[in-house]
Amino acid sequence: MHREDFGLAGEGEGIPQVNAREKVLGCAVYAGDMRLPRMLHARILRSPHAHARITGVDLTAALALPGVRVAVSGRDVPARAWGLSHKQQHVLARDTVRFVGEEVAALAADTPEIADAALDLIQISYEPLPALLDPADALTTGAPLVHAGSNLADEINIQRGDIDAGFAQADLIHEETYRTHSQYPGYMEPMATVAATDANGRLTVWTSTQSVFLARQRLAEALDRPVSSIRVIQATVGGGFGGKIVEERSSVIAAFLATRTDRPVRLGLTRIEDMLSGCLSVPETIRLRLGMRRDGTITAKEVEILADCGAFAGLAPDILIVSAMRSDNMQRIANIRTRARLVYTNTLPRGAFRGFGGTQMLFALNSHLATMAEKLDLDVFDVHRRNAIGPGDTTVHGWKIGSCALEACLTHVRKAIDWDAKRARPKGTGVLRRGLGVAAAMHVSGNRTIGNWDGATILLKVNEDGRAVILTGESDMGQGAFTMLTQICAKELGIPPAHVTVQAPDTDISPFSIGTLASRVTINAGAAMVKAARQARSQILAAAAEKYSHPEDDLEIADGMVRARGTGNLTVPLPEICRYHIFRHGGEGIIVSASHDPETVRMDAEHRGNIAPGYSFAAQAVEVEVDTETGQVRLIESWLADDCGVAINPLAVHGQSNGAAVQSLGWALYEEPRFEGGQLSNGNLADYTMATADAVPRLHSAIVDSFEPNGPLGAKGASETAILPGAPAIANAVYEAIGLRITDLPITPEKILAGLARAKGARDAAL
Amino acid sequence: MSTHRIHLTLNGEAIEAEVPGNRLLADFLRDDLGLTGTKRGCETGVCGACSIHLDDTVTKSCLCLAFQADGRQITTVEGLADGATLHVLQEAFMTHGGLQCGYCTPGFLMASAELLARNPMPSGDEIRKALSGNLCRCTGYQGIVDAVGAAARTLHGI
Repeated sequence: MHREDFGLAGEGEGIPQVNAREKVLGCAVYAGDMRLPRMLHARILRSPHAHARITGVDLTAALALPGVRVAVSGRDVPARAWGLSHKQQHVLARDTVRFVGEEVAALAADTPEIADAALDLIQISYEPLPALLDPADALTTGAPLVHAGSNLADEINIQRGDIDAGFAQADLIHEETYRTHSQYPGYMEPMATVAATDANGRLTVWTSTQSVFLARQRLAEALDRPVSSIRVIQATVGGGFGGKIVEERSSVIAAFLATRTDRPVRLGLTRIEDMLSGCLSVPETIRLRLGMRRDGTITAKEVEILADCGAFAGLAPDILIVSAMRSDNMQRIANIRTRARLVYTNTLPRGAFRGFGGTQMLFALNSHLATMAEKLDLDVFDVHRRNAIGPGDTTVHGWKIGSCALEACLTHVRKAIDWDAKRARPKGTGVLRRGLGVAAAMHVSGNRTIGNWDGATILLKVNEDGRAVILTGESDMGQGAFTMLTQICAKELGIPPAHVTVQAPDTDISPFSIGTLASRVTINAGAAMVKAARQARSQILAAAAEKYSHPEDDLEIADGMVRARGTGNLTVPLPEICRYHIFRHGGEGIIVSASHDPETVRMDAEHRGNIAPGYSFAAQAVEVEVDTETGQVRLIESWLADDCGVAINPLAVHGQSNGAAVQSLGWALYEEPRFEGGQLSNGNLADYTMATADAVPRLHSAIVDSFEPNGPLGAKGASETAILPGAPAIANAVYEAIGLRITDLPITPEKILAGLARAKGARDAAL
Repeated sequence: MSTHRIHLTLNGEAIEAEVPGNRLLADFLRDDLGLTGTKRGCETGVCGACSIHLDDTVTKSCLCLAFQADGRQITTVEGLADGATLHVLQEAFMTHGGLQCGYCTPGFLMASAELLARNPMPSGDEIRKALSGNLCRCTGYQGIVDAVGAAARTLHGI
């Protein structure tokens, strides 16, 4: 596809989201808003122990309470284990609990109040076991075992080139260990599910999910029943950020309860429950050793990662791969040695989070590059540029870079924040000190990891009134997938966006889809949408050509009319042709199915291969102000530039970038799940502090000029890339402000003050 | 649990109900009256998704008991539009990227409407301060702040 195919000046139109009206009216239906006749209300009982054997279960008192209709424990659930690469979870814990908060029993009652009361009547007895709480202890001899065998959940070893020769060429070798912490996705809608079994035993589940088909697969495994006996329908999704892909557990429990009663069941989590049961991101300790020539060229990269997946592996092995190798592809680099290990602990399961392992490693790498640039007296932008991968390159891991505007992103943010003038200003000596920082990032658009298919299918119907209905299995969780599909469809069919409807994903109706993950929907489903719309258009034009005996290649659709391009003597309203498509011998309503599977490959055993059809890039420059008396860090300015290819909807892309900037700000400065004896001690939104509007300055987001040859209309994925550079940009700015290198996130006032005190102590000692 | 007979005006309509003393206003609105535009997000008065107007004051309905609404006027997000005509804030949130997933949107709309009622032309900082009792995880607040500013200008005919 070439740039001229787009037919628009650089980008699409920033129209409001297609489901915005129902959202501002308050009538969008989220799963927790649903109410079915005779619906029961479910509650979950959770483990108070980090590690214990379940020695006794007594549900009789709970079941005896009037209004309680069903109560179950791990003794009632299928023996079949569910999971991704590691099958190790059950609907409810069967014999052993492995973290505080693990689900051990569940019930459903006529009212939420009865369900609450009944929960107190369930008796579970435990025999506590030694708990493994610190990942650093996981691989030591004699450590408590979270699962039989070993606490090592996964290990990745990658070698490229000659690491020793690489370090031998270096003028500077720098080594540092970085610690990154978990982040809670913090979507505003706590998980909710409604499930019901019909008279034939078929199960329907309405839930908040990023993928109805992965949800169905998970339910089929966990409930040990055929895929086709389950129908999953996506309710309006109140944010996901990775937490609602496949690791979410409450929908499984709701569905199981619905198979044990003839009444519908609703399970809506409270916020504390959602924090216990939604997925926190994977915390990693990263030792990074980098060799660099005097001119800034990276000669060798040695990485060691210890990551904590908590009690179950979930998606964490896939996240580990990203941390271990994705950032290598951002740079022209030849000599690499990486060892990454993933361990179990008796803590909350960790998993997918926007950026999918990229944030952790890019914090380390960008912090490192800034440090080394300073040591070599180089401009940090020059160091980025000198090593940056470019269009047409094949990376060290075999990734084929189509479009790449990383340099343009860097150039933009440097200019926009007025980097050179601000860096030249005299260093402050007062209480408030300002500093600048920059970071660069790379992400995938699509990823052939779920299986040997990263495709997307769109079913498109054009009705007899010339208006279109799109059936898709890709989820809109607020990011704008439905709007993107609508805009492509409208443009290709020559009808207004208001004449396009997107049907919410439903496994009985939608074509099979992977869903919303890996920034894959725009690049893959968008490409399928282009094909489907063009196929429908040619069917329409063929019908018009037949009806009016006019050469088909002279016809076009524009503004809802079928027109003759050359002569201009034929103008027919689209509905007339759509009706003619049906009402003729052998006719039918217009329905087309089109699929697009990118020409990517799965990684080989050595983690080589071009896994994505496109790669997106971003850079962010920030200015912070550090209060040297309180240790508070305040974001003063943020400029983020995203290379997402052609923006189909710039309003949506800016929204993604701004949201990502604040989510990364929260990770860098404020948000940290804290544990005491394995118990989450700040499991509420008052103590787990996400940034509010008054903590954030006006945000600046730019979309740089870029065109992805493998993307629909030149587009790639947006959103995930934008969360990657924030934390290291802030850490680099803090360093510039006060000379303190924080390598252990989050950057709290306590760490700032302790670091300043240490520096002062060292200065005093030197006197 | 004792119950209370309450009378109130809800979105301009007089209603009467019998509520248990411990019934939260948020649950009364959502579960008893089916007005699910008011969202539950944290149960602790932090996230603001359940914000409503209680006698023109923005109030978190998860921190309020239903019987406390006796004799008062309540407006929820369902009462913001005038029939099929959207409130100027609703239009502005749509066109300025003031929402994505939409879950926080009703609360932000109610807090914004109260702000514009007492400060018809707020500065960016005033908007951010007024909305600091509400959490949004999608927009980074920029689209929301832009929307409220645009709505204020529209109301002034600028």
